[in-house]
Amino acid sequence: MSAPLSDLNLVPLSIEGLSVAYGERPAVQQLSLSVRPGEIYGLLGSNGAGKTSTIKAIVGLVRPVAGEVRVFGVDAIRDGVSAKARLGYVPETSMLYEALTPREFLEFVASVRRMDATTATRRLQSYADAFRLGSELEEPIATLSNGTRQKVLIIGALLHAPPLLVLDEPLNSLDPRSVRIMKDVLLRYVAGGEHGVLFSTHTMEVAEQLCQRVGILDRGVLRGEGTLAALRERVAAGDASLEEIFLRLTEEDVGVRAAVDSFGDPPP
Amino acid sequence: MSWREARRLSDVAFTELSLQAVYAFRQGNVLPAGSSKDLVARARRRVFQSKFVISVVLGLIALGAAGLIHLEATIGPSSFASVPAGLFESGVLTGLFSLDIALLWWTGVQVIPTLISSGVLPALEPLPIDRRTLYQVAGILYLRLFDLPVLTILVLTPIAVGLALGPFAGLAALPGTVVAVVYALALSLLTGRFFLRRVQGSRGGGGRSIVRWAYLVLWLVPAFAMFGFISAAPQFLRSLGDLAAQGPSFDGTLLVAAFPFSFATLPALAAGGSGSLAIFSPTVDVVLAVSASLYVALAAWSIIWLSGSVRNLQFLPTQPPADLSPVASVLRPTGFARAVLVKDLRIASRTPGYAFLILLPILDAAAIGLLTYASPLPDAVASSLALAAVTTAALLATFFGPAFFAIEVLAYSYGRSLPLSNRSVLFGKVALICLMYMIASVVIVGFTIARFFQPAIFVAFILVELPAVLAAAFVELGLLFRWARRRGLAITNLYTGAWFAIAVSIPGLILAGLPVLLFELTRSSGTELALGVMAVVALAELAVATPVALGRGAS
Repeated sequence: MSAPLSDLNLVPLSIEGLSVAYGERPAVQQLSLSVRPGEIYGLLGSNGAGKTSTIKAIVGLVRPVAGEVRVFGVDAIRDGVSAKARLGYVPETSMLYEALTPREFLEFVASVRRMDATTATRRLQSYADAFRLGSELEEPIATLSNGTRQKVLIIGALLHAPPLLVLDEPLNSLDPRSVRIMKDVLLRYVAGGEHGVLFSTHTMEVAEQLCQRVGILDRGVLRGEGTLAALRERVAAGDASLEEIFLRLTEEDVGVRAAVDSFGDPPP
Repeated sequence: MSWREARRLSDVAFTELSLQAVYAFRQGNVLPAGSSKDLVARARRRVFQSKFVISVVLGLIALGAAGLIHLEATIGPSSFASVPAGLFESGVLTGLFSLDIALLWWTGVQVIPTLISSGVLPALEPLPIDRRTLYQVAGILYLRLFDLPVLTILVLTPIAVGLALGPFAGLAALPGTVVAVVYALALSLLTGRFFLRRVQGSRGGGGRSIVRWAYLVLWLVPAFAMFGFISAAPQFLRSLGDLAAQGPSFDGTLLVAAFPFSFATLPALAAGGSGSLAIFSPTVDVVLAVSASLYVALAAWSIIWLSGSVRNLQFLPTQPPADLSPVASVLRPTGFARAVLVKDLRIASRTPGYAFLILLPILDAAAIGLLTYASPLPDAVASSLALAAVTTAALLATFFGPAFFAIEVLAYSYGRSLPLSNRSVLFGKVALICLMYMIASVVIVGFTIARFFQPAIFVAFILVELPAVLAAAFVELGLLFRWARRRGLAITNLYTGAWFAIAVSIPGLILAGLPVLLFELTRSSGTELALGVMAVVALAELAVATPVALGRGAS
């Protein structure tokens, strides 16, 4: 489903004061960020930083304890179905109906997305050709490799050409060719200046190549946000890589050196 | 490594299996709040509860069989007067052993896909554990899936038979009990392997779906014995009497040699009923000795096979595709409710636990319909049998709600990321339940037309009961969605979710059963009046149930 014209002047994604907790344990605290039209926004963080919890709150898999999530102006917490109709989602783990084949799964997704048969089939064929999926489309998902499952999830997210993509580690398990295709697809996706992508990763090089802005999450709190240049300025490091900026902002740079030193000399 | 170490490792593996079976977090489900210690304890408690429920049913069946034998012996022959006492006892015990096998096997069908998908055994493979210990761990883990039900059968069956026929007879029931348990465990694993290769690994496409359903029907026919035997038990006992009346015959010898009848005769022989068996064959002792020895040998071989096969489940290759050429990938999107319905049917066609539930009322309808058609009973009695079959289909449909909800949990988290309201999911599942009830009913109508040529009353009965079936489905699914939304709880299969499945099935059973009960009570005043009462009650139930299902909190 493409965004209605009235949506296109709106911000693809805005999050205000979002807090997520599992029982007593907070996972995300007072997070505010936005994905602008024509932007790929990278959400960076260590394991357990709260990236996946943030994404799950956006797509309605966990109920936040506080805050607001809007997808093209639609309140994603109160009107989840309308918000979900405007986004495509790739989860971190390949949670799929394992007993279905990819074609059966995508047919279900296309039905729920109210697509017509011609468009759905045309898009499936072009993505299947791009990702070199042939007979795998008729194999049960349970028998597929992780990489092939990931391709199926990506096609499921792109099939209805949503105006917002929410991708949780989308390049996991993909072969280099598919990674390149996916990067180009994303860059072309936002080139029109209307769509937006929220992209979580811990691969700094990928974020550096793709994202116009990044947000760095650490233990549920946004430690820094902006373009690479703005973040370099903030940590006062003229030519620092995103990895160095990340480590400084999360105050892990000293910890990394100490951890490596603790291993001692390599065995002879 | 020692057995103690194998037991310790199997304990870790069983805990992991319980946690995954209950919370389905590998499918992306969010774990509920609480410490991991509490979650583990809750998962283990829930698995224990389910095994306890199955064990209680098995215990009741054993005590029921003993009670039946005791009543027949003390009060005297009633409806089975033509069946000699020893034969009657053997017939009842044949039923008991068959039900034990069927129920254990059904349990296995429910839990083995979870065992395979949990990955608990592959997780042990890279660890520095010797092969022998890995086999031991797998074997112990497999036994733990069935431990309480198996113990119930092994302990309670000899005691129950002993109470009914004396201590020697109780002791004589032990070999049959052990062999039945071993066969059930082997059948569970055998069908689990079959499931992996031919059903779960089957490719998509219309033709292959039909083949897959055919496989499932073939495979489920023995499991259907559990229900079929209950339905056909009186006929079976009467047939025994007819066979005895003929005197020695080849059929009689075959029966004595057949499993589990050969073992079921042992307690009767120990209780002094050998005379009734000699009616079948003058060489009954030889036939029994040979057949029982063969069955014991097969059981011993099954144990050896089981000990090596559980670990190897993870290494089984799936069915290689016959044709690897690219296929034309055409998508045919449909409406929401139909998409949910088709998805559920496709999942069920590769998930025997669900396929079993879908096929059970249809197979039952076919069996009872055939019985109605071929029965020498007077038309009035056969007609009641047909109406009872429709009622059974309606009551069985009340078990679909939890099962179809459980299908949703398989990838519940992904499903929730789609713009699909609970209301759409609920309508899709109610439509599927309605479809299953109608298919089963149409099968029965087909047979009744063939025999009575007066289908009007059956068609009216089926249509009048339909709102009650819908009401039951709405209430069950409404409760489940409400509860899942509130607690984020997953029922991954009926093995771990037996308590919940039973709890929500109770209002469903009441809703589906009440109109039929009122029909029976008012039938003496005229069939039309009874159907009218039934219709009013069924429609009233639907009117009340729909807001419950679609109201705030549920959808």
